Amino acid sequence: MQDEKQTALSRRNFLRAFGGASTAAAATVALTPTEALAYDPGTEEMRARYKETEHIKAFYRVNRYPEHK
Amino acid sequence: MARMKFLCDAERCIECNACVTACKNENDVPWGINRRRVVTINDGKPGERSVSMACMHCTDAPCAAVCPVDCFYTTEDAVVLHSKDLCIGCGYCFYACPFGAPQYPRTGNFGSRGKMDKCTFCSGGPDTDSTEVEYDKYGANRLAEGKLPLCAEMCSTKSLLAGDGEIIAAIYKERVTQRGYGSGAWGWQTAYRETVGV
Repeated sequence: MQDEKQTALSRRNFLRAFGGASTAAAATVALTPTEALAYDPGTEEMRARYKETEHIKAFYRVNRYPEHK
Repeated sequence: MARMKFLCDAERCIECNACVTACKNENDVPWGINRRRVVTINDGKPGERSVSMACMHCTDAPCAAVCPVDCFYTTEDAVVLHSKDLCIGCGYCFYACPFGAPQYPRTGNFGSRGKMDKCTFCSGGPDTDSTEVEYDKYGANRLAEGKLPLCAEMCSTKSLLAGDGEIIAAIYKERVTQRGYGSGAWGWQTAYRETVGV
């Protein structure tokens, strides 16, 4: 009877110690701050493409009234 | 630096929907998505007006503000673009947009939305300019070719203007001084926090 009680207690102690340690480890992993990864398109993607070419100048011209061209 | 804008002159729009068709064809837009739409107000009644609407490339874009994966970015031309590689199709941008611009292909199973699609001001996306990959995802990159969005370029009544905001505002002012103010620069206050003063 004494042995059974001893075994039960040690198993509980073991589980308590092991479970506590693993929970603490999980919490540490979960709480470690990681850097936010927002989309950074870079300078090549962001650069201006618009150029006032002859094609675009013609678009602006034909949209004006003739007296303003 | 030039700031790209759209301006629909509602006094000239005749609801021909050619801008919608041109956009779909130029960008190979999939079934079920219209990057541009023509909205008619007071249809069939006196004072009827039609407005061609798409993404207005807002100054402080609400779509970008609500995106949980931060897939939007604004180019130096002030064009609002997004990365389809990052988009998770959550639909927040659709609810945030005052113009109803973001669209979803709905090609997945169980009603999933798929990657968001919207007007790119005919300037492609984050992939390398004028490549097949860019075209498949985002459509044509006319801006890199020295051209403007096709919807505006082929508008038969010269209702839809696109390009440098200052130049198209000047063109609109000339029209207003000639014919009267009319319905104003539709959507400009919402998108750019300003309007065309005369």
